[in-house]
Amino acid sequence: MAGPSFVPRAHDIYPDDVPMAAPNFFDVPADESPLQQLIRHWMNERHSPDILPGQEDVLGGLLDHIRRQSNTVHLLRSDPDSSEEEHFRIMLAQTEIERVKFVVRSYIRTRLYKIEKYARYIANTPEVQERLSQAELNHAQTFANLTEDHFNISVLQALPEHQRGLDDQTPFTPPMIPEPDKSRAVFVHALDDCPPVRLPDGTTLRIQKGQIVLTPYAVVEQLLGIGSVELV
Amino acid sequence: MSNVDSRQFGDLATQLVQESRRSTLTDTLLKYNDSLVRTVLREQRALEALITAAIAASPDQTTFAPSLLLHQTALLRNKRCLLAYHAHRLDRLRDMYWSLGGALPALLSDASLRARLAPAEVDFLRAYNTALLDFRGAFSAELDITAGITTPPRDLHVLVRVVRECGVVQTELGAIDFKGGQRYMVRRADVEHLIVQGYLEEV
Repeated sequence: MAGPSFVPRAHDIYPDDVPMAAPNFFDVPADESPLQQLIRHWMNERHSPDILPGQEDVLGGLLDHIRRQSNTVHLLRSDPDSSEEEHFRIMLAQTEIERVKFVVRSYIRTRLYKIEKYARYIANTPEVQERLSQAELNHAQTFANLTEDHFNISVLQALPEHQRGLDDQTPFTPPMIPEPDKSRAVFVHALDDCPPVRLPDGTTLRIQKGQIVLTPYAVVEQLLGIGSVELV
Repeated sequence: MSNVDSRQFGDLATQLVQESRRSTLTDTLLKYNDSLVRTVLREQRALEALITAAIAASPDQTTFAPSLLLHQTALLRNKRCLLAYHAHRLDRLRDMYWSLGGALPALLSDASLRARLAPAEVDFLRAYNTALLDFRGAFSAELDITAGITTPPRDLHVLVRVVRECGVVQTELGAIDFKGGQRYMVRRADVEHLIVQGYLEEV
């Protein structure tokens, strides 16, 4: 007996599946799919020197979606009624899942890299802590402690008492707790007409929709926060 | 301090930093230079003694010998160099850890690497691994965050050659016994970690 075709069956199991469309980078998307949103945040995160607010909702939604799709695929693969053509579609769906996983993984790892790099700065700065998820925050604190312990064991405990500080404020030397360098240059693509921003030399810059501009990160930090620009 | 007359304060610490530079440039982890670290630490204590003596020798505690500034600068610089050396090694160790896909036993069972590590660094790696296991746990139902992030996957399946025998591996399509020198067509997700750890090689 012939079962219903692939698509309706897949939809019956999980009616809320959102189609994963290919990303479209240089048009302003009226309604971005979760994957497009994550790709935008992923690119921003990869290009920004600072840690951006974590996109837990988008990420959580996509992770759920990956899990559901994997289950669906698994179910359909083991269904003997699936035809040859359906198997081909299943393979496409699986490939797409793997590619989405790649973006998710890269997003998580990019954040993890910055979190470890600035772990001690994060541990001392409540304002940055708000941008992290609970798991990320825990890891930042653990990692900050780990490095400090290692410094203590390897170096500091052999030094006289008052040389053991890990945040000496000495003139002419770089700070002992590395901070993100917000003056680093980034390429910005405007998704909207932006309100004017002030450049370091005092002049103002008004970025129009669709323009691509190279500026220090600090200049566009606010614009990135409200989502009218993306980093490219 | 003057067993070698031509040596200046900070020379030894500079050697430490140069080792770090060499390590970066050649992309290798050099042996932990325990004796040099100890010598710099001794220099630190000697500098400390000089400074304490200079302060004690000051008659009114407001004017000090000019050499004090010099010693203090050397002291602060040495400390930063020491910390930089250790921080750089930790960075390299983390890179190695990730390039093996977070396989700590594989990393630590490498005898030649083990010989180049300080005991404290092995402890650090162990603690780091534990901390990461907690972090990975949050995503383990959906994906393994330690898999590669350099090239996006093109195909579901991949043709691999066995470089080192790794025994029977359970995959979605059943168990596969990877024998040395043979080629297999397998699902990438099933063997990703074996490729990363160098058991299999993509053809």
